[in-house]
Amino acid sequence: MPLEISSEVVGKSAHITLVGELDSSTAPSVRQLVDKILADSPENLILHVEHLSFMASAGLRIIIFAKQRSPELKVYMVKPQETIVETLKKTGFYQGVYVVDESPV
Amino acid sequence: METQTFPGNLDALGPIRTFVTHAGQAAGLSHKATYDLCLAVDEIATNIVTYGYEESGLTGDIRIKSEITEERLVISLEDTGKAYDPDAIALPDLDDLSQPLENRPLGGLGILLAKTGVDEFNYTQVDDHHVHEFIVRRNQHG
Repeated sequence: MPLEISSEVVGKSAHITLVGELDSSTAPSVRQLVDKILADSPENLILHVEHLSFMASAGLRIIIFAKQRSPELKVYMVKPQETIVETLKKTGFYQGVYVVDESPV
Repeated sequence: METQTFPGNLDALGPIRTFVTHAGQAAGLSHKATYDLCLAVDEIATNIVTYGYEESGLTGDIRIKSEITEERLVISLEDTGKAYDPDAIALPDLDDLSQPLENRPLGGLGILLAKTGVDEFNYTQVDDHHVHEFIVRRNQHG
């Protein structure tokens, strides 16, 4: 299944909604969007992933990239599916992002 | 045994996951076990495409096979790209995994997810063919 990407910036928070599957073929588009968003120095990157059914390590590298560019950036993952939560835990990312049931802003 | 061949490029990743998902369902694996297996295969398929073929200036196919026995589901990925040894790639250790994300190394995550997603992971070279094998025990993950 391909990946549908949409985004919105509200104040200092950038929202990205991902629907479908995030792998190395679809990740470059997300990375490009994140790169563009970070140029405006948001404080929060809020990833709406309730309907993201698959995330490979390519998705994790996008988060690393975002944090390397903006160490103070807060990354939220809103309603990730249980399988993706497991990936975050296995790779130590669970401690570095905010996993939430609803958008903080 | 089911077999399918895909061209060795990133467009194959989705169809490869579909193949693995069907195999997992046919083997009666749980949703979680099927997902973990899909992720493992996807990570290695990505490495085959990226490092085995594209960055090495090579082209070729990826052949995927599934075999279901009473006890196991075995998925094999076969390619003719540049050889590499997945055991030689350093996995993130506990110290790496606890680092702040901005200090994390980029490498090793794919292999980590591949190896931890299945019960057994094997890599062999036969002439110019490389075979990655992913084994899931059915009675533990059904």
